[in-house]
Amino acid sequence: MGDNKRYPELKRRLSPGWWTASRHYAMYMIREWTSLFVALYSLVFIYGLSLWAMGSRADFLNFLKNPAIIGFSLVALVFTMYHAVTWFYLLGAISPIKIGRSKTKPWQALVLNLVLLVIVSYLAIWLLILR
Amino acid sequence: MKVESHKVARLHAILWGIFSLGGMIAAFLLPVLIYLTAIAYPFNLWPFNGTRDIGFLITGHRLGALFIFVTIAGSLYHGIFRFQSALTEVGLLRYRRALEAVGYFIIFVGIIVLGYYLATWYLNGTIS
Repeated sequence: MGDNKRYPELKRRLSPGWWTASRHYAMYMIREWTSLFVALYSLVFIYGLSLWAMGSRADFLNFLKNPAIIGFSLVALVFTMYHAVTWFYLLGAISPIKIGRSKTKPWQALVLNLVLLVIVSYLAIWLLILR
Repeated sequence: MKVESHKVARLHAILWGIFSLGGMIAAFLLPVLIYLTAIAYPFNLWPFNGTRDIGFLITGHRLGALFIFVTIAGSLYHGIFRFQSALTEVGLLRYRRALEAVGYFIIFVGIIVLGYYLATWYLNGTIS
């Protein structure tokens, strides 16, 4: 209890529009808001599965061919790729790998992880669909 | 009091750990799932090309069902957790508890429903 009095919690006092003050903050906030599409796509997919579970496989397949769902999913794909790119860049910035006297740069982590993304995606398709 | 704060800190560490794992899952696995469901299947492109449908991904074998569960559950957790956290940074900090409650409720219900469907299909033999 005494510790709490000696070190009171620092209350952040930010206005709702603080992130518009600079391009850097705006990009940060846009990155955070794109997570909404990651969550919404997941919920839409679960809803699609419920159509299958309570109806038939054809209901689920028709749902995926609905133009509105395709349009939404394409937007979600763009934001998911934006999430992936910024996430990979952050990984490189937060935990650089030390090689000899130098450390890896964030863009190197980005390129490496994008290559990994392509490999993982191909492996998933090969294992789950083609095999 | 000190023991309690340690427990809270540990819980926060676990929740942020799951959040990070969800971020990795959303970055590495969600793009290919969206490609398969929103581009490849509706437009009859590789790898479907008119042979199998997207249902095969879910019920074709257990690995596919596991892929769906991990990708959707991880992405849902990450997306909701991050979005409700972002809302507290745009003037809704005073509603943090309520946002967290709603967020965790959506995550919990979503994952339970997803797991229920997949487990049911596994048990009744729909997933081969």
